[in-house]
Amino acid sequence: MSQRITIDPITRIEGHLRIDVEVDNNAVSNAWASCTMWRGIETILRGRDPRDAWLFTQRFCGVCTTVHAMASVRAVEDALKLEIPLNAQYIRNLILIAHALHDHIVHFYQLSALDWVDILEIPKADPTATAKLAESLSPWTRNSRNEFKAAQDRVNAVASSGQLGIFMNGYWGHPAMRLSPDVNLLAFSHYVQALEYQRKALQVVGLLGSKTPHIQNLNVGGVANAIDLDSASALNMDRLETIRLLLEEVVAFVNQVYVVDVCAIAAMYPDWFKIGSGVKNYMAVPDLPLDSAGTAYDLPGGLIMNGNIAGVHPFKTASDKEFRDAVSEDVAHAYYHGGKALHPWAGETEPDFTGWNGEQKYSWVKAPRFNGQPMQVGPLAQVLIGYAQGHPLTVKHANLAINKVESIGGLHVTPDMLHSTLGRHAARAIRASMLAELAQKHLQLLTDNIAKGDYSVHNAPVFPGHEVEGVGTHEAPRGTLSHWIVIKDEKIKNYQAVVPSTWNASPRDASGAHGPYEASLLHTPLARPEEPLEVLRTVHSFDPCMACACHTFDPTGKQIAKVKVL
Amino acid sequence: MTRKILIGGIGNVLLGDDGVGPYLARLLDSRYEFEDGVEVADLGTPALDLIDQLSGRDAVILIDSVDAKDIAAASGTVFLYRKADIMRYRPSVRMDPHSPALVDAILSADLFGVAPADLLLVGIAAEGYDAGCSLSKLVKASLNHAIAEVLGELDRLGVSYRCRQHPTELGIWWTTDEAVETTVAT
Repeated sequence: MSQRITIDPITRIEGHLRIDVEVDNNAVSNAWASCTMWRGIETILRGRDPRDAWLFTQRFCGVCTTVHAMASVRAVEDALKLEIPLNAQYIRNLILIAHALHDHIVHFYQLSALDWVDILEIPKADPTATAKLAESLSPWTRNSRNEFKAAQDRVNAVASSGQLGIFMNGYWGHPAMRLSPDVNLLAFSHYVQALEYQRKALQVVGLLGSKTPHIQNLNVGGVANAIDLDSASALNMDRLETIRLLLEEVVAFVNQVYVVDVCAIAAMYPDWFKIGSGVKNYMAVPDLPLDSAGTAYDLPGGLIMNGNIAGVHPFKTASDKEFRDAVSEDVAHAYYHGGKALHPWAGETEPDFTGWNGEQKYSWVKAPRFNGQPMQVGPLAQVLIGYAQGHPLTVKHANLAINKVESIGGLHVTPDMLHSTLGRHAARAIRASMLAELAQKHLQLLTDNIAKGDYSVHNAPVFPGHEVEGVGTHEAPRGTLSHWIVIKDEKIKNYQAVVPSTWNASPRDASGAHGPYEASLLHTPLARPEEPLEVLRTVHSFDPCMACACHTFDPTGKQIAKVKVL
Repeated sequence: MTRKILIGGIGNVLLGDDGVGPYLARLLDSRYEFEDGVEVADLGTPALDLIDQLSGRDAVILIDSVDAKDIAAASGTVFLYRKADIMRYRPSVRMDPHSPALVDAILSADLFGVAPADLLLVGIAAEGYDAGCSLSKLVKASLNHAIAEVLGELDRLGVSYRCRQHPTELGIWWTTDEAVETTVAT
């Protein structure tokens, strides 16, 4: 007799991720991912000036602000065939990298580490032994006994108060938790330190974008930063030096702490290299353009189908014709009217809410497909696609991480093992260390270009009389983001955003094929179905971002997520 | 020593009355000037990034919309919540890791030892959250009341402020609606 488990955050007005699984013999036998609210924010953009679109799209999501701003200006520039100055590319790239570093650090420490780290084991740890262990893993100077003791004291204070505070919802003592007390303490201490370093990454965004969380410096055709080496208020060598110093600290944290922690946790949970694979079609778009026209990139893109890593197929540009032509959205199981799957430029959004029905319609998320196939996007897709193409930076950082896992855990890691829950975490850490290196590279490129006397930051857009279409992409922290725009008479005629979490959280399509979250949960073993920690581990490994669209305070306190077992 | 104080508007400016927090923050910034150390900010929908905003401040005043359907409050009613009121609620199981996170952010700030000593949430009961950039009539009518509550909290904290002789640019770019007149004198 199968058991049905629903994990539903039941928040009020936001759309949220809801997961339903059927469990047979303590393993997931079927799964549904759904989003619980329609946003339809894109409709606000119709009729507006394309030059202003990025200001609005930046508000789609409160956490992924800059990525939607960037995809939007790129979409308009693609429609207008507008190149942007080199300085603008470098400044945009630096903002995107710093934002992604912030995001990856926050995701691992604040949002998913505690799926693996048991807080209530920490009081049993020995800070001296933890420091010795940490020293053997990394040169990080803050791996001292005193740091670990202070972190342990924090946990002791919370644990002994009887009020678990931020930890009150964890599955502590769950049989799937398997780290030693010392490793739990090690990771928790870095969870506390992570707050300082993710903030430094955000400071870089602020220094270049003039404000966070909403940057102010973009425009269609480039950026609005004034570059003037003689002005205190403009982008000058002092400010570039400040950015360099901040990045140095973030880079050290990523390489000496974040990557090492992910490798250590992976080495101690080797069975999670076999769980959570799901959809093995991967997609990434090239990003971090190196020239004005966007023909060369520091991050490669492409496709891998059916897990065939050797058969990787590259995308040449960020708005590759192959990509433009192949994307469609299917609404067979989503709460919208409509028959056949539609291309985003022709996308329609007519709500048809029927209530949750796993056999029929059950989600507000449409099902994006690439030539009719579900695709997994995100750091894992990007790293596999880069690795398969022999992209030197990807190969270098992937091999460093793989060697680290092998040296800690004594296991042999093959690329195929990356099709897994741990593979997604490892790939995100690998991507972070690649981005850390690229941050320093792009800062140097910008500094050198300015030193040459090039202060240009903007090319004025020119709108043609006829209707034009464009797509702006960005390989965002959660994967391929694309904004699709149709412009007529200098006004927006249609606008659709196909966000990474739509690819990954997609419901079934007309053919019945699962979306990536759903497929990844199949066969997952559950030690205690009523405490579905294993489901959370896999869902969190994708870094979902469904619904930061709307935020109010609910005086009835209904923001408690509910786990319902039937 | 200069006290560090944040007046932060929270909400999504694309979803009707949810934009009231950012709207009020910008209105306050444009019409009033505050003593050194006071930052007035449109925070959007920061979720857990709110930890960064809370951290290291002496006092924080948040302005947010309140979903008051379940407590049958009239749209535009202004509510005040102190930290203890907010903390009566449990944090969420982080299914979607970026869902709204006021309670979580405060608890994390407490854990890290960076939480502000004073925290007030000024909540305005919303009429609706449909996609759109205008505030509803009743919410607009309550803005001066909400401003008075924010300024009242500054009085209580002994923070000085005054009306600007020449208001700065409003910066409420998301709507073409005529801006609300401020009537709260200082």
